[in-house]
Amino acid sequence: MKNKILCLIFFILTLALAILSLFIGKYHFSFDELANLNAMQWQIFYTLRIGRTVTALAGGFALGLCGFVFQIVFKNALASPSIIGVSSGASAGAAAGILFFSGAFAITLCSFVGAICAVTLVLWFSYFDKNSRKSSIVLAGIAVHALAQTILMSLKLLADPESHLASIEYWMMGSLGNVSIDRLWWSVAVMIVTSAILFALHRQLILLSSDEDEARSLGVSVQGVRLVVLFLATLCVSSVISMTGLISFIGLVAPHIARRVIKNNKLSTMVMASVIGAALLLGSDIFARSLAKSELPISIFTSILGVPFLIWLTLHQERLR
Amino acid sequence: MSFSNSKFFEVKNFFVSYGTKEIISNLSFEMEQNEILGILGANGCGKTTLLKAMCGALPSLGSCLLFGQNLLDMSIQERAKVCSYIPQRSGISLDISCLDVVLMGFNPYLGLLESPSEKMKQAAYAALENVGFAHLCDANYQTLSEGQKQLVILARTLVYKRNIIFLDEPESALDFGERYKMLAKIRSWVSEDRRGAIVTLHDPQLALNNCDKILFTRGGKVEAVISPKTTPREEIEEHLKNIFGNLSLHLCKNKQGKDQFVLLREETL
Repeated sequence: MKNKILCLIFFILTLALAILSLFIGKYHFSFDELANLNAMQWQIFYTLRIGRTVTALAGGFALGLCGFVFQIVFKNALASPSIIGVSSGASAGAAAGILFFSGAFAITLCSFVGAICAVTLVLWFSYFDKNSRKSSIVLAGIAVHALAQTILMSLKLLADPESHLASIEYWMMGSLGNVSIDRLWWSVAVMIVTSAILFALHRQLILLSSDEDEARSLGVSVQGVRLVVLFLATLCVSSVISMTGLISFIGLVAPHIARRVIKNNKLSTMVMASVIGAALLLGSDIFARSLAKSELPISIFTSILGVPFLIWLTLHQERLR
Repeated sequence: MSFSNSKFFEVKNFFVSYGTKEIISNLSFEMEQNEILGILGANGCGKTTLLKAMCGALPSLGSCLLFGQNLLDMSIQERAKVCSYIPQRSGISLDISCLDVVLMGFNPYLGLLESPSEKMKQAAYAALENVGFAHLCDANYQTLSEGQKQLVILARTLVYKRNIIFLDEPESALDFGERYKMLAKIRSWVSEDRRGAIVTLHDPQLALNNCDKILFTRGGKVEAVISPKTTPREEIEEHLKNIFGNLSLHLCKNKQGKDQFVLLREETL
């Protein structure tokens, strides 16, 4: 019962932040004005505000959920989507998109493809281990991360310092401002479908967190479920970061907050991690666009939130799960 | 499950290797239902390897027939419905409630997306009650002692229809009272139809007083099969000496008049 009340509080908080996000920005809309928007105002509201708010909501939701999934599958409290090369693959893909193609759509597509390729490589490499140990996935992740970083470095060398290089760096800092509203709905669709399946698989996910032998003796096809879950989580996260660039810390921090609130690991914890992720990203974005005249990169604010929390976690280690 | 006239459980020509090193070599034995079979041997002789291989966690050659059906040929889910493996230490690393741990035992019977029913939750609660931990059903599993965790895992193993359970040195984490409690629970569980248990044990005294049959293993082979009730005491003593060094075996009566084996360490002359 207490859990349900806490969940409700966080839901309401996230909703409040979303509504707040709709009103903050350079163009001022008051409540009365909203009721009677002319065509141009609606265009601004739709493209800028609604687009941004939905991106923050969906993006934070995806990052929180996938952070939870990765922390369970790898039994590592410090796991985040980058552990299997999602971030580095997306970065390398985005850099290729910026260099060789033009237009936001090309960059988004290349970065999505880059992330999926990286994770596919990781899962394929780990397949070579007949015992399908989870440590093989981590090792393969390290290898693919190094490979992606090398590709990224080479691309940066090739890039024109005046324009492309800066674009690559800004992409990697992450921003919700460059999201094209038309493409956004595709990302949201992918995110909704993959998260729905992940929520449905919550019981198998919790079982995956045991020893592999133990899970197998309980009837879990460890390799199969792990593959499906990791791939779904990758799709979910890639659909977001291919549009926004890298957003750090939310995938790491949101699940831990959720676990503090709900001192258990079940479906409600999974949902909480996603909702808290959404709240965190909404909050960070509100700061990012209202603190200075020009927009600040969002990863700065997610880091400002994340670093103290990590330090606090370190000081309270016995609950590091 | 084919209900033929086959034995309850038979292991035939079993080989297990780690790379090129052969751990279990041409091992064969059989057991009847309603029995607790103990496996004794020195550390490192491959007891855990044998147990893990029999429930399909390690690759092996040979067959393990449960009522004539080879466990190793079954799919993971089918196998999980008939046999259960309790490791020495549970690998659960998350904060979850004890009730949720016991509910894991229903996994082979649930569809991928299904959740445990109300009846299953009641059965899980009853299983926890059975091991005396009903008051811990909402407690965080991680906060329990190793011994308590073992008993919760036992509750998970016994919660729903299984035919054979494999326990790997279950007594290692338990205190004196809990050890006998665990073996008593296993004893009452195997007394039902079509059930049996195989336990590897560290303590030969515990094995002699609780098992119906004992397998002595050495060098990856079965050295002897004895029955505490029927094999002559001197023969049992000989086999124990071969594995554990100089000792003497005695039969004593406890206050209720029940015979129990007692092992005494003897100095090497």
